[in-house]
Amino acid sequence: MIKKKIAMLGAFAVGKTSLVQQYVHSIFSDKYQTTIGVKIDQKQITVADQDITLMLWDLYGDDDFMKMKPTYLIGASGYILVADGTRSETIEVALQLQEMAAATTNNAPFLLIINKSDLSETWEIAPETILRMQQKGWIVLLTSAKKNLMVEEAFQKLASLMLNPY
Amino acid sequence: MEKETHQNIESIIEAGKMNELRKLLIGLSHEELERLQKLLNDPHEFSNEISSLLPYAIRKMVERGEISVDSLLPFVEESMHKSIQKNPQKLADILFPVMGPAIRKAVSEDLKRMIASINASLESGFSFRSLKWRLQAFTSRRSYAEIVMANSYLYHISNVFLIHKDSGILLHEASAPESKALEADLIASMLTAIRDFVQDSFSNAEKGTLDEIQFGSLKILIEQGPYAVLAVVAEGQPPADYRVTLMETIEAIHFNLGLELEKFDGDTEYFKLADKFLQQCLIKQKKEKKQKAPYQLIFLLLLLIAGVGYFVLINYENKANFKRFITELEATPGYHISSSRMSFNKIYLKGLVDPLAEPVEEIMKRFQKIEPGTLQASFEGYLSTEPEILQRRAGLLLSPPEGVEMKIENNRLIISGTAAADWEQNLELKIAAIAGITGFDISGLNKKITDLQWIIPSIERHRFLFDINVVKLDSLQQIQFDSLVQAAVFLDAYNQLYSRNMAIYVRSYTNRNGNVAANERVATARAEGFITLLENAGVKKALLKSQVLFAEDLRETVSLRTVHFSVFDNKPISR
Repeated sequence: MIKKKIAMLGAFAVGKTSLVQQYVHSIFSDKYQTTIGVKIDQKQITVADQDITLMLWDLYGDDDFMKMKPTYLIGASGYILVADGTRSETIEVALQLQEMAAATTNNAPFLLIINKSDLSETWEIAPETILRMQQKGWIVLLTSAKKNLMVEEAFQKLASLMLNPY
Repeated sequence: MEKETHQNIESIIEAGKMNELRKLLIGLSHEELERLQKLLNDPHEFSNEISSLLPYAIRKMVERGEISVDSLLPFVEESMHKSIQKNPQKLADILFPVMGPAIRKAVSEDLKRMIASINASLESGFSFRSLKWRLQAFTSRRSYAEIVMANSYLYHISNVFLIHKDSGILLHEASAPESKALEADLIASMLTAIRDFVQDSFSNAEKGTLDEIQFGSLKILIEQGPYAVLAVVAEGQPPADYRVTLMETIEAIHFNLGLELEKFDGDTEYFKLADKFLQQCLIKQKKEKKQKAPYQLIFLLLLLIAGVGYFVLINYENKANFKRFITELEATPGYHISSSRMSFNKIYLKGLVDPLAEPVEEIMKRFQKIEPGTLQASFEGYLSTEPEILQRRAGLLLSPPEGVEMKIENNRLIISGTAAADWEQNLELKIAAIAGITGFDISGLNKKITDLQWIIPSIERHRFLFDINVVKLDSLQQIQFDSLVQAAVFLDAYNQLYSRNMAIYVRSYTNRNGNVAANERVATARAEGFITLLENAGVKKALLKSQVLFAEDLRETVSLRTVHFSVFDNKPISR
């Protein structure tokens, strides 16, 4: 049995917990509840005929008061950076977090998820921004935890990256 | 010749030098070198030499950790496997002496375990305690088995987790068969997150690790290794040296799976090998049953002993009382007991009883412990000849007056004292009628005149009517006169006995008609004449006095020619 630790990183209220809840339990709640510390969930999937258990570490949102600490990232085989498509500043947070995560996880595979793709009216992220990050070699996905859009695909993608990084 | 000798000498000197040189260079003599060379060339000799060193060398290597028993295991196992394949009989022969005892031991252990488990099920199956536990399980929403474990064991380790230190991924777990299945993966990760959180939050404090988490009666003990962490879920308080077990276990796991741990990339398959290490951490200690003193039983026993003791005591007392009662009854005059027994607190008596004996109820009253209703007596009447009863019977029949003493001697009635004359009348006849009296002696009995009351009237009731101037008794008057004389004699005896001076006035009546003096003379002569008659009959003169009374002076009507008598008391005479 293969087991992998995945960390969810991002600014506060970008939808980390919602993504995990949607992915693991197929539920979504509009009610915002801030995560204190860590919530852990697990999901069994199959990637390339390989059974794999994902241990999903849903970490508290990074903000000015609670800076993300690297301790929780130790031992992660991959991580997902989450940004909110309706708040462009969350991209900046994701960029900062990526630097720390890369150092801590010894350059483990990761994805950037820009969440809340269902809220097109208040969307703030310009396509150029996404393109710039893709040019850096990042994999960027647009998801909606609420509408369950691209959620499973995102985790699946990261899992296959972790199994075959090259 | 000389040259040859010289050469020889030179060669000897040369050889000596060579030896010396060799010694200086390698420190071995020629002989030693030769022996070593021979040793190397002869395999037999060489193996002999090595064989003495080999066990020592192996031990040294094990001590230094260069080889472990575990690393030798595959070779031993494989060689045994091959040996069995080749010739199974050989191994069977070797094991034969061991097999029998081993099988017996295994069977007896299994039996013991089975009996213990049956006992345990019986104990917890039908008791009040098991009901309590079921209720506890219901209210706490834990499984019944868990509650049983928590209550029956001083401590027990339900789960052991081997966790990858960095990622928090569960590498392997072992759990006790009766424990609940836990979401081990999540627990492992969460424990790691907690550890990270603690370390992160208190990083300023002195360098330490999270060793223990306590939640109610549950404890999670954590033992850190360089690459993996051992976490055990314990209920109760494990023994003090359990930490050492955990340390040894995590060390053993690192020793055996160090490389796999270091290079861990998510594949937990290898860590199944750690199972045997984890299993040895699953220990438990059953609670010693409190040897509660059986107070209730002791109390009951004491009560029983007290009851029996009381019963025995009462019974003994009753028996003793009964014996005393029977002894008393047999000793009581007028009773003859033929059979007596006591059963269920009732007394049954048979025998004879004299009507004059003391009533049995009275005798019973002297024995407070014998209730009146407990006696069932069937007595027949008889006449006792016991002295006390004879005396009582004589007393009843004779009613002896005061001053008379009666006693029985050899069934003879002895009467002594003083009694009135009339009591003595027909005494012999009366005594003869008393049953059981065979003879009597009344020589000690004195006559006694006691009753003045009957003497006085018996004197005073007499009166005699005479013709004019005649004092003479006719035949009818003579009988009365004798009675008077007898009474007068009694009065005299009475006077003498009690030193009294009672006298009889012989009264004659007249009236004052005509010649009073002549009348008085005639009356006096009549009285004097009667006194003479009495004197002649034997009555003492001193006892008699004449008296003439006039009819006019009297309130009653009297016949003038009668003689009356009156007894009066003069003052006592001194003797």
